[in-house]
Amino acid sequence: MAPEKDLKSILKKIQFTDDAQVMKQIVDQSLQVKTRMGRIRRKLVVMSGKGGVGKSMTTANLSLALARAGHRVGVLDVDLNGPCIPKMLGMNDGAFQFTTEGALPPIGPHGMKIASMAFFLRPDAPLQWKGPMELSPVWLGLQEMSVIREFLADVAWGELDYLVVDLPPGAAADKPPVIAGYIPELDGGVVVTTPSEVAKQVVKKSVVYARDVGIRLLGLVENMSGVLCARCGAPTPLFDGGCEDLCAALDLPLLGKIPFSQEMSRACDAGRPLAPDHLIAKRFDAIADRVQKCLALDSVVV
Amino acid sequence: MKFVCMKCESFMSFENVQVPGEQSLGVTFGCPTCGAKVAMVTNPGETAMVNALGVKIGGRTTPAAPMELTRESLKEGTAAALPPASEQQAMLAKEMETPSAGKCPFSSMIAQMQTGATAAEGSALTWTEAATERLEKVPSFMRPMIQMGVENYARKNSIATVTPEVMDQSKNDPGDLSWSQEAERRLDNIPSFIRPMAKKEIERIAKERGMTQISEALMEESKSKFIGMGY
Repeated sequence: MAPEKDLKSILKKIQFTDDAQVMKQIVDQSLQVKTRMGRIRRKLVVMSGKGGVGKSMTTANLSLALARAGHRVGVLDVDLNGPCIPKMLGMNDGAFQFTTEGALPPIGPHGMKIASMAFFLRPDAPLQWKGPMELSPVWLGLQEMSVIREFLADVAWGELDYLVVDLPPGAAADKPPVIAGYIPELDGGVVVTTPSEVAKQVVKKSVVYARDVGIRLLGLVENMSGVLCARCGAPTPLFDGGCEDLCAALDLPLLGKIPFSQEMSRACDAGRPLAPDHLIAKRFDAIADRVQKCLALDSVVV
Repeated sequence: MKFVCMKCESFMSFENVQVPGEQSLGVTFGCPTCGAKVAMVTNPGETAMVNALGVKIGGRTTPAAPMELTRESLKEGTAAALPPASEQQAMLAKEMETPSAGKCPFSSMIAQMQTGATAAEGSALTWTEAATERLEKVPSFMRPMIQMGVENYARKNSIATVTPEVMDQSKNDPGDLSWSQEAERRLDNIPSFIRPMAKKEIERIAKERGMTQISEALMEESKSKFIGMGY
């Protein structure tokens, strides 16, 4: 009986040709992201380890504030399973136009370009992918990564001053590194939390994790910082204390405090931005101003 | 991924790709020296994993359409209305333009099926907008195969216009399958309210195995799926 052949020695003898070109395709995908992102001056993510703290509301209103200040703004909603940016911005009927240049995003208030998974789904349909969920959902993470990559690579944003990305809740595990991996020149992250001790504890972990994967955090927005009386507008505390202690512990600037307001929640539900002179709109103008100052620190210091 | 013929010490060449079952792909490779063949079959999880990468096995011959993966991966019934069919068909047609030039086994297969069907059948069928929309929800690499199956069914039954109903009927079409007398007798033993479902499932199993007649043995084998149905 002939001795068994050694695969290692066989492989040394024969010439490998890369017909499949899988690596080249993956490199091409990354290059396409780089090309698209290269036309955007500042890329920001809005994140939090905790759900329901107001990430999407912050994304929508921070973007509006930047747009009010005269910037060209794009909003990318990568909360694939619970996209709500289109509703908050009155874009429920928005749709992409597919052209040879890429997917043209619909235009929202103040000329903002909006991209969201919601534009691919029927109004009440949950996000479901083709694939054997019942057998093995191991492919699901890869699928979501590729979809996020497509949003970055295929949406024809054109030239923008700001791209604000709304990350899904519980984002500590996978999405920030995915985003950071695809956008190495990500300018920074804005963290959102409520002053609840429970939320702060979870958010603290996500801040540590984001920094571990190399995301520069610009500051923290404290949402539900008290409640405004619907009649007289006087603020009433909702929680004991604020987020100053968290910011001090994490060495993170406090960008601003947003109180709960019935007018704000109605505006979000109706998809109508608040009037620019509304107290909360002004608070977001101040937050946008601080974000810009944080971003400009590089050019001041260097 | 490469396969090596250990006997001849050479890389095997791609030969063809088939769809042996739902959510499964079979790719056959052959040794250029001794002719030995090996087939790689993916299970549904592996098929989904390959699709999720967003790469074309064998290499791309044309650029990807914008948001291609996202649009093609959504489960039926969840996706919003897709762009006009003409645009998508034009894209697909473009993809199929050079069937022999590409190295991608899937697009080669699709191209061969496409050109083969055209040459063999020739006569044009009309697809309604709703049927076209439904066809577009099928992943592009499987679309020509599904289209060919539906059109064959329509031609066989002298149907000039393909509608979603015709698509449903073609799915349930047993094709050239026949039932042995004994198998038919056992089918009659199944309670009537569940019989159509059982019949469909047994025909599906038979088709999957490439059988032309449903035998008593197959009924016996499939029994575990219908325990308590009385046959």
